[in-house]
Amino acid sequence: MFILGGVVLYFLSGMVDELRVYQGATIAVYVIAISSIILLTGYSGQVSLGHGALMAVGAYAAAVLRIEFNLPIILCFVVAVLAAAIGGALLGAAAARLSGPYLAGTTLALAIGLPSLANQFAVLGGEQGLLFDVGFPPLALGEDFTQYKWFFWIAALAALISMWVVRNLLSSAYGRAWRAGRGNEVAAQLAGINTARSKVLAFTISAGIAGLAGALLAMTIGTVSPSAFPLALSFSLLTGAVLSGITTLGGVIIGAVVLVAIPEIADVVAHRLGSSESVTTNLPGLIVSGLLILTVLFVPNGPVEQHRARKAKHAAQHASSKKDKH
Amino acid sequence: MKALNRRKLITASAVLAIVGLASTAIPAQAAEVGVSSTQIKLGMTLPMTGTASLGYNKIPGAAKAYFDYLNANGGINGRKVTLVVKDDRYVPTEAVAKTNELILKDKVMALLAPLGTANVKAVASSVNPARRGVPVLFVNTGFSGFADVKKYPTTYTVLPSYIMEAKIMGEYIKENFAGKKIGLLYQDDDFGTDALAGFKAAGTNFAIKVPYASGSQNAAAAAGWITKFKAAEVDVVILFGVSSATSAMLGVAAQLKYAPQWMLGSVGGDATTIKATGVPAGVLYNAIGFSPVPATTDMKDEYVKFFSDIYAKAVPGSAFDLNVLLGMNTAFMTAQALKAAGANPTRKSLLAAIDSKGATFANSALVPAGYSKTSHVGLTGYWVGKYSPTGDLSPIGGTYVTYTTDSGSGPVVKSTYKRPAMPAKGLPN
Amino acid sequence: MQLLNTLLIGITAGSIYALMAIAFVLVWRSTRVVNFAQAGMALLSTYFGYEAVSRIGSFWVALPVAMIGGALFAALVELILMRLLVKHASSGPIAGVAPIIATLGLLGVIRSVISMIWGGQDLRIVAPISNNGFTINGSTLVFSPLKLLVLVVVAVLLILLTILFQKTNLGLALRASAHAPEIARLSGVRVDSVRTLGWALAGAAGAVAGLFQTVNGNGNFSPDSIEFSLLLVSGFIAAVIGGLDSLLGAVLGGLFLGITISFVLMYVSSGLFFIAPFIILLIVLFIRPQGIIGVKAGRRA
Repeated sequence: MFILGGVVLYFLSGMVDELRVYQGATIAVYVIAISSIILLTGYSGQVSLGHGALMAVGAYAAAVLRIEFNLPIILCFVVAVLAAAIGGALLGAAAARLSGPYLAGTTLALAIGLPSLANQFAVLGGEQGLLFDVGFPPLALGEDFTQYKWFFWIAALAALISMWVVRNLLSSAYGRAWRAGRGNEVAAQLAGINTARSKVLAFTISAGIAGLAGALLAMTIGTVSPSAFPLALSFSLLTGAVLSGITTLGGVIIGAVVLVAIPEIADVVAHRLGSSESVTTNLPGLIVSGLLILTVLFVPNGPVEQHRARKAKHAAQHASSKKDKH
Repeated sequence: MKALNRRKLITASAVLAIVGLASTAIPAQAAEVGVSSTQIKLGMTLPMTGTASLGYNKIPGAAKAYFDYLNANGGINGRKVTLVVKDDRYVPTEAVAKTNELILKDKVMALLAPLGTANVKAVASSVNPARRGVPVLFVNTGFSGFADVKKYPTTYTVLPSYIMEAKIMGEYIKENFAGKKIGLLYQDDDFGTDALAGFKAAGTNFAIKVPYASGSQNAAAAAGWITKFKAAEVDVVILFGVSSATSAMLGVAAQLKYAPQWMLGSVGGDATTIKATGVPAGVLYNAIGFSPVPATTDMKDEYVKFFSDIYAKAVPGSAFDLNVLLGMNTAFMTAQALKAAGANPTRKSLLAAIDSKGATFANSALVPAGYSKTSHVGLTGYWVGKYSPTGDLSPIGGTYVTYTTDSGSGPVVKSTYKRPAMPAKGLPN
Repeated sequence: MQLLNTLLIGITAGSIYALMAIAFVLVWRSTRVVNFAQAGMALLSTYFGYEAVSRIGSFWVALPVAMIGGALFAALVELILMRLLVKHASSGPIAGVAPIIATLGLLGVIRSVISMIWGGQDLRIVAPISNNGFTINGSTLVFSPLKLLVLVVVAVLLILLTILFQKTNLGLALRASAHAPEIARLSGVRVDSVRTLGWALAGAAGAVAGLFQTVNGNGNFSPDSIEFSLLLVSGFIAAVIGGLDSLLGAVLGGLFLGITISFVLMYVSSGLFFIAPFIILLIVLFIRPQGIIGVKAGRRA
């Protein structure tokens, strides 16, 4: 299935213009980042407002290795995953003692504090950041193969692989343990699950995936700098996860597309309405925040799950009405 | 069942992706991208919202005010200049995305005055205007690196670099405050790192250096800085930060009756901006300031008078400050570059025009620009002034004394530069 | 002198964090929700206050206007948003995180709407009394009549709220609804109304924090001003340090945070502004997970 998806994407990337290819790469990055939130929040029940900071850890790790040791790009991505996972394990160890709002607040403080650290160490390049160059696409792909298509390929492949990994993880014993702990911690403990360890593990894996997303984000903008990982990024990821349906991986593409498409849609709407400057510039923010609230209130489990539930209900009704006729 | 769901997932995502990606514009066939028989399209990304937007979000209005004036007076050889502005919220990711839109969707001819070192660097790396041949005119940062022709062949800086400014400040201190204890407030990122490099080149020694994290400058922080400077008993305090840092510092200094000899860097030294935050004008009195362009209150200056008249008509009620003056000056230089690029300007001819004639473009600056085939350095110096009792920066003794230097180890020299007179009606000639 | 001034800087900053922390605690006690939109509400109230100042010209009128405006808005949020939330998302896997997400969304909505109405530029409220430092023995302290006023207002609010909670029937109802809503309901307490009241009180406290944070700075504020990001993060951290459940804890937490940050910036490095609160929070959570004042039940919501 994932291979088929790859084939579809391959043909797509050949059909559309460069801007859409770039946006496609961004969507793929968001898909990965959002899936890390879904794993953490939707399955293991922990909230993080600091995944932007973990993305920064991955991005900086990849960039520093690329610049200092000129490692092959694939290794840079692997190290990005590992570095962020280590960060996540540390944070997860703290997180296991906290829950709900405490965890949210701690990760919030992290998201604000961590990126500014880059100014304290010369090797991290300060405010202007570090270059992160994955290199030109291989010549074998042809002259017309643009840089952005190359980015898109790498990001899309990484997205397919990480989706595959996450899906398998979630349906494994770990996934069951997370869900058990999320539902009722005491019951899970009675059933012999070490909930604390299970939570730290979820945080570690989620952070690793976020680190990969961070390195890929750095690839698409060619640099790593503190301002690329603002608090707003962490909020966007959570928004994307909620819009996708935070308890299921199935809708992850929805959140990612919405995050990329909304500024453009808002732009069109604002211009159509002929609104003033202050309305135009603030409309995207309003739409995203408004959607977030509406989703939490009315489709808390996300559009995909909602659709599935309605279908199941419909099917059940259908079955029962059939039975009546007989 | 599971396989079925997965298939659905993939189909759904494929459908969504196609819907999302389907709308592709067909490029119009023209002599050059962004240039038609009736208009020339330029694009700008900068923070219009968010913490970093204060002050800078006046720049598009200022540039448009000049372009509108230009268009009403015949435009560039009959072509109207239009400016597409996008908000990047000072985030590199956004800057890259919006610049891609400007180049690939809006199809602008050139990028104008992008803001922020990290943003310009990210755009240079990812969007790569150089490889696409897209001119990046007059980036709005004092980071000296963007003048490197080899690394950024289509990018031109305009502001003098932070290094130049620090070197000139160091020279002024040597001449006027020898033997005094000097304190420095600086931002703990590249902005400050460049300043430190400049002061080092000038041989300035500091009794105390106080860094602040960008975004942390408020009244409480300023009380802390002042406490440090007081403890170090310095005579001169250099404020090499952004406007909000200068304002916070001077505002709190007034409350704490702290009055050393102030020296204000140009980035955070605009009197109009500082006074708008409620800093009493008296605090600024006798402070030393630096600027490449004339004082914004100097209505005897033909450019300042001309620009402020246009701006007052275009954006009524908005104060004419340094950001506005610089924004209009950049638009003015751009107009000359477009005019110099020939009857049917192309990206190539635009770049060539700046390389060959850029150094002679009329503009309000009192120091020369360094454009040539081998250098994309913009303005190369500052004039030194003092703030008046009403808090406005004015030249000492009524005449502008200018210094020029480079971003390397070159000396600081008093300049004899004579500014070209303003072309008739403020239109490019 | 440097030491004294560092302490004074910390105390004034901390007292405003304390006000914000009180707002967090009031909401937490009434609905077991951490309201991440609290700083946004404070910002909105500050705009209410600004409108009052520019029409009537007096800060002393603006303060109650902002407080009432803030209280009404907070009550409205509880009545609409929080009740819908309880109705639609109080069970199921998302229940634990839904309030956090909803209040974050509200924060975004408030900021966008403010920017649309008032624009992004700086507005200004002038302090009602002098912010010029007191002079002792020829040297000027980082302490002024205005800062004294801030301290007094925090103290008065704390005392009033304590009396309300400890000595009145309403206070009893507030406490009962927070700790045992079912029992409270059975004993005739109108739990829903009491919760709305908790939010309204928090809205009013936040309004005071917003106005004082503004005038104690340089009087300027905008949807993006640093002062309000500070209120969000520092107010919340102060509340957590104080144990989230106790008003006195919130005040002590605020002062502790303000003073500690002031000393770190003065004697370690002034570049540590953003990372210092995070480190302080982590240390506090590890050493005393229940906060300065808090029950030993752990940090589990």
